[in-house]
Amino acid sequence: MTALFTLERLTKYLPEQPEQPLFSGITAQITAGERITLLGASGQGKSTLMRIMSLLETSDSGSIALDGKPSSAWQAKDWRKQVCYVAQQAVMLPGSVEANLRTVSNLHSIPFEKELAAQLMEAVGLSRIDWTRPAGDLSGGEKQRVALVRALLLHPRLLLLDEVTASLDPGSKQEVERLLLSWSEREHTAYLWVTHDLAQAAEVSDTVWFMAEGRLLETSGTADFFSEPSTDQARSFIHRESAQGGVADE
Amino acid sequence: MSNWALACTLVFVVVTILLSVQRKLGLEKEIAIGTVRAAVQLLLIGYVLHYVFDTRKPALIVLIVLLMITVASFNAGKRADRIPGIRLRIGLTLLVTESITMGLLLLLHIIEATPQYIIPVSGIIVGSSMIVSGLFLSQMNRELEAARGEIETLLTLGATPRQAIGHSVKRAIRSSMIPTFDGMKTVGLVQLPGMMTGMIVAGAEPIEAVRYQILIMFVLSSSAAVTAIMLGGISAKLWFTKEGLLRKG
Repeated sequence: MTALFTLERLTKYLPEQPEQPLFSGITAQITAGERITLLGASGQGKSTLMRIMSLLETSDSGSIALDGKPSSAWQAKDWRKQVCYVAQQAVMLPGSVEANLRTVSNLHSIPFEKELAAQLMEAVGLSRIDWTRPAGDLSGGEKQRVALVRALLLHPRLLLLDEVTASLDPGSKQEVERLLLSWSEREHTAYLWVTHDLAQAAEVSDTVWFMAEGRLLETSGTADFFSEPSTDQARSFIHRESAQGGVADE
Repeated sequence: MSNWALACTLVFVVVTILLSVQRKLGLEKEIAIGTVRAAVQLLLIGYVLHYVFDTRKPALIVLIVLLMITVASFNAGKRADRIPGIRLRIGLTLLVTESITMGLLLLLHIIEATPQYIIPVSGIIVGSSMIVSGLFLSQMNRELEAARGEIETLLTLGATPRQAIGHSVKRAIRSSMIPTFDGMKTVGLVQLPGMMTGMIVAGAEPIEAVRYQILIMFVLSSSAAVTAIMLGGISAKLWFTKEGLLRKG
């Protein structure tokens, strides 16, 4: 299958640590509709990798391409319309909940999909929220879900999800997982989802990318990753995370 | 003012230096340099103006105004000297502000088309616009820190750089214009502006001095608006790299 997105030998150094790369040699592919979780201990540069993939940061070497076309050949705005990053810390734009939901429509002068927005809000458990409420007054979990719905209304082909359920209660988390699975199925949207929750990874992905020691050590099927990880680092990561409660139900 | 009286004004500098020494502020060198520069620059411009007023050559007036704009652009640009091309944008903005404002003043015969009027009023316009530009850039620096999340969120949703930074630019424009309008509200009550005071001291009728000051206040309000809005517009893209990344604050 032709790759939707490719990463080729990506390397990133942090300014405060110029002698050792945050990560190096990251090479991988994402196909249309593919559901991937990105696992790894904190500090591996998973968020930085996603920010590079959404053109919010640059790598120090290597390249990324969408539809086989390198990022340098794209207008950043056109790239980001197809590759949408949803940050862990949801930022609400000034104005009401509805103003936030209308952002994509306003930015791109396209009709507001009000019915779809309402369906998505219901799917993430926010059906009873008042759309005229100032978005800044929402709780952390509510902001996170509004931010997700706002991003889905862009209809990107690849979603980069950075711990988007981190501030949600178990019920809301499951609602978001169900929504993203069905959305991916329906819209053929691929996603790369950073999570520390192994049970969630097993539930929502077909493929796991595992980062450790500044490298992408594994890209394997989710079932294989959890049953037969091919590296010691992955084995000990699964063991450690499982002991802390994120047990995969494979 | 006699030379003796002028020399006596140094007593104020001495007071400042003594206070700095007594309070261990460490500003003595700054004060001394500032004093010498101010005296030399003002005396020089005095002689230059004397020559220009006598010769009445339009080319010289244009040259002096362009020099003012160049110096003002470099000075205001210090607030954002990591942004490539910002000084050129400031220079262009000041040039347009000066052209519009001075053009209207001359076209409507509000002031006489003589160096005695054009050069001092241009100095006031360019100087004030330089301050507005500096305030705009300072506020934009703060916006790049405080509103980074907002700008990046808009970028992730496919906004163009101009769309993403639009709110920040608007806030910076407002913030850079407010001091001018605050000044208009309190002028005459809190402070007597330098130009008006100078005219009165030089023997002009207070009412005549006030009429000119009103003219200057109104000119400053429009030049602040033109400067802030134009600089906001033509610098919006500079806050991003050519790859479309938001620059660091």
